[in-house]
Amino acid sequence: MQRNRPPSAQTISVLRALAADPARWRYGYDLATEVHLKSGSLYPMLVRLADRGLLETSWEPGAGSRPPRHLYRLTPAGREFAAALTAARAGRTIPHPRSRWSEA
Amino acid sequence: MPLLFILMMCLLGIGIAVFRRSPRVFLDGSSEDMPARLLRWAAGLLSPQRGEWGQAMLGELGHLDGRIRRLRFTLGCVIAVLLLQPWGRRAGAGVGAMIAVAVGSVGVYASVAIRYGLGVGDWVAAAILVVFLAGYLLAASALLRRPGVAIPGLLGGLFVALAWLTMKGFTFYGVIGTIPAGWEKLVLVIGVPLVVGAAGTLWGRDAAVGRRVARLAAISGGLGVYLYGTLAVAVLGAGGPPEGTGWTVRYIVSDRLGSNLVNLLMISLVTATVGWAGAAATARLRNSSPAPTLPGPFIPAADPGTGEEA
Repeated sequence: MQRNRPPSAQTISVLRALAADPARWRYGYDLATEVHLKSGSLYPMLVRLADRGLLETSWEPGAGSRPPRHLYRLTPAGREFAAALTAARAGRTIPHPRSRWSEA
Repeated sequence: MPLLFILMMCLLGIGIAVFRRSPRVFLDGSSEDMPARLLRWAAGLLSPQRGEWGQAMLGELGHLDGRIRRLRFTLGCVIAVLLLQPWGRRAGAGVGAMIAVAVGSVGVYASVAIRYGLGVGDWVAAAILVVFLAGYLLAASALLRRPGVAIPGLLGGLFVALAWLTMKGFTFYGVIGTIPAGWEKLVLVIGVPLVVGAAGTLWGRDAAVGRRVARLAAISGGLGVYLYGTLAVAVLGAGGPPEGTGWTVRYIVSDRLGSNLVNLLMISLVTATVGWAGAAATARLRNSSPAPTLPGPFIPAADPGTGEEA
């Protein structure tokens, strides 16, 4: 059974960081640094967002001895959800988590 | 003294096993640094559907410079990996059961310590116990998530615990007061762990699985015996054998709790080490056994590899 909890403040900050430039692919470590999160918090969050279809991932080929690197950006549903979060904050209403998280 | 000898032999065995696994790495050190090795190990714990995320963490680590930065990133990722679902139903149930046993043991220990008004030393021992149990649970959660380890490992732990308790008569008095005879010690310290390691290898058809089964059996079996022993102290207090020693109740209870802790460490270490040897020996014997030949006068030339795995 999928639980539909409202997104945490940390998840919201990750969504906002990704939504700031939605077309741009982001690295995990850079994202963690930007939102001041430890890797132990960031990766489970990214996994949950990807599971819900809010995040798409890709691989950047490795260069030289460096391994391939994972990239992240919001899906259209993720952008819509991030926009709804921003609108809800402006209107002081929280988007219904059931409808939003389960739609994704 | 025998305990010290056993511990020394176990440590020697671990050293030999690590050397034999990769002599070059043992002597020259790995080409990867510690964070990379730790994260590679942790990534292997992820379920197949989460495998990409392990590679993502490794890829990100490959682009980080600076020892402290790499180490901090790795430690965070290891915690994430250990908590990341899904674990699989068996692994989740196994971890839940072991957490219940560990928490129950600590609870019983604390109740005994409060009831008998034990001193600071016993609370320090309790803190050490909590640290050990946390380490045991962490190790168990890692082992349980390896494919093919949960069921044989937990069954092996049950076998180990039953063997120890049976040799002690299966009573609270026996657990506290019985010192196994010479042949019983041999069975418990050598025979049972060897059987567990060998059975694990045969079950998983792989020495690596056998070694993990032995380790999981060591942890779960040790925890089981520990809980039983702590319950025995809670029920008997200072009662039971040996009678009339002249010691105070508080001293006897404290001594028994301490003995239980030593038993926990000893059973785990011995079972893991000797079981490891049993798993390795079984794999070697299996690999060196002659391939069976097909009966009858005609052996088809087009199917030459049928006898590789008996």
